[in-house]
Amino acid sequence: MSDQPILSIKDLTISYETKSGVVLAVDRTNLDIGQNTFIAVVGESGCGKSTLALSIIGLLSMPPAKINSGIMEYKSVNLLTLDPNQRRGYRGTEIAMIFQEPLTSLNPVYRVGDQIAEAVMVREMRKGSNSAPSTETDVMQKVYSTKATYLPSRIPKQRRGLTKLLRNEIIQALKLVRIADAEQVIERYPFELSGGMRQRIMIAMALAEKPALLIADEPTTALDVTTQAQVLKLMKELMNEVRTSILLITHDLAVASQVADRIIVMYAGDVVEDANVYDLFSEPLHPYSKGLLACIPSGSKDKTTLNPIPGTVPDLRHPPTGCKFASRCPHVMKICHEKPPPLIENKSNHRVACFLYGE
Amino acid sequence: MVNESPDNILETIKLYTYYPIRSGNPFGKRRSVRAVDDVSIKVPRGKTLAVVGESGCGKTTLARTLLLLTPSTTGDVIFNGVNILKTKMNPKKLYREMQMVFQDPDSSLDPRVKIKDSIAEPLRLLEGMNKEKVADRVAELLTAVGLSAEHGDRLPAHLSGGQKQRVAIARAIAPQPKLVILDEPTSALDASVQAQILTLLIDLQRKFNLTYILITHNIAVAEYLSDIMAVMYAGNLVEYGPTNEIISKPRHPYTITLISSAPIPNPWKRNLLGIEIKGEVPSAINPPSGCKFHPRCPYAEKTCTDLNPSLDNISANHYVACHFVEKTA
Repeated sequence: MSDQPILSIKDLTISYETKSGVVLAVDRTNLDIGQNTFIAVVGESGCGKSTLALSIIGLLSMPPAKINSGIMEYKSVNLLTLDPNQRRGYRGTEIAMIFQEPLTSLNPVYRVGDQIAEAVMVREMRKGSNSAPSTETDVMQKVYSTKATYLPSRIPKQRRGLTKLLRNEIIQALKLVRIADAEQVIERYPFELSGGMRQRIMIAMALAEKPALLIADEPTTALDVTTQAQVLKLMKELMNEVRTSILLITHDLAVASQVADRIIVMYAGDVVEDANVYDLFSEPLHPYSKGLLACIPSGSKDKTTLNPIPGTVPDLRHPPTGCKFASRCPHVMKICHEKPPPLIENKSNHRVACFLYGE
Repeated sequence: MVNESPDNILETIKLYTYYPIRSGNPFGKRRSVRAVDDVSIKVPRGKTLAVVGESGCGKTTLARTLLLLTPSTTGDVIFNGVNILKTKMNPKKLYREMQMVFQDPDSSLDPRVKIKDSIAEPLRLLEGMNKEKVADRVAELLTAVGLSAEHGDRLPAHLSGGQKQRVAIARAIAPQPKLVILDEPTSALDASVQAQILTLLIDLQRKFNLTYILITHNIAVAEYLSDIMAVMYAGNLVEYGPTNEIISKPRHPYTITLISSAPIPNPWKRNLLGIEIKGEVPSAINPPSGCKFHPRCPYAEKTCTDLNPSLDNISANHYVACHFVEKTA
């Protein structure tokens, strides 16, 4: 881990305006992401982990979402003050994202190769805009062989052909994600590929520009366990090859423990604990983190009993005034109902938001 | 393993369920998806059998075949001493004894029917109970699954995912079945809620002496809940035996892959990053020849490409379908 964080989030608050009231999805969150590190954000559905991810890449649909306050500093630029055009300059090149269901992220009517080519096209367009503004046709001519661009569009793209240079670049990108028969794969449509293959292609597209940060929102939830293992292993390896940081959003503490360097536990919009993975598993501090760890079945029912966390997540339209976990917490005190606990450093690199550890 | 024993509440013998595929060409080759391909299992009374495998391995089709929701191609299912595939019987009689909990309570509960009426339905239809009795029993069932009578007046939309799954469980145990088939009962739920449901399932099993068939892809859940485990791959049963034995010493190469790729919540034991997994799950329409796992198997030899291995016992209750089972010893 490097000392200088690449992304530093301070006091970020995001809410959603819904018909039945304002939902506080992310509540005064502070978070630093270092260089070339694997961070997992763990939490249950509705804890705000996906909202946090979308706000970093700038894909929150506003409205209904609203960023109420906060600073998001990326390489000493506050991303939240940029206009949409400037913001777009960061998306894909500096910060990239992959999603849970690769089939909905990939365009079903384009061949895989053409979709990756699109990413390259966008890059070329951006390069062009520095000197002379380049039109889409200019880029098309660069991307596809010149003659081919004028053929009627009903002739399949494959026949129009990708230029050799671009084709090689795409094949390299696919080889990076360990797709052996890349030459064949670029001619395929997404539906012809398996779930694991599709997610690899998403990763290839996301890493094509060598972003400093890759956000992965539940990338393996829709995959089978053996495929999940392959994809997670690949992400971990590529992190070092491409020298990027990964922010993994997951509900699965077991997955996080396998790959992450640092784990951030979220509950009802709050970061409740932020620690090195080994510290979190050897000595979880927050009662919710402890509860989550006790919920994971391991061993058989005859030997171990699960200790489910009683109760349910509070209604975020009317969040309680104090600690949001107070109603489910076994160590609840008077102060917990009065004010929310701040996230404070308990030990070096181990932060927790709980009054049990002082104020 | 064909003879019927009174200790087993359910037994399948060489069960096959194929789904025919409609092809455009009426003279073309008839093809089918071999979802369940020669599966013989036994479920002892009062125990839990976990059927594990990845998507498309046929585990849900197996469950649906047992419940007569999907017609089988050939084979026998002996439930409580009766061959339910060969005997003409009133399905109502069967569903009094055998019930199912589905994965997604949102699609298995009618969004316009109040919770208490959803739970009352099997009581009225299967048991023919009268109104007053039904009301009492519904209240009893709601308490049994950890809900209050007040929840009965709500609609499914007003309950959380975990509460809805509790309702689905209450409805399944309403007719006092002997066997409950649980199809991925917790995979749509969050970790803390999953733990609540698993605890509830164990309580109910002890209280009502239920037998469970648990269909799951989650090894940790299967290990936690089950006594016996059946591992399926591309429609075939590849390993079958006591859960603790399979977990601690899996013998089929596929089971080894499956168990070692399940993430364990322990950062000191990063099993996921060490293993090498070849290939992906094969197509069920056009599976590989011989042993269906051979293209991915590190031990495959020529025999494996020619001959599908039979399920043979390696110890009293532990069966493995592999030609070279001694290699994993």
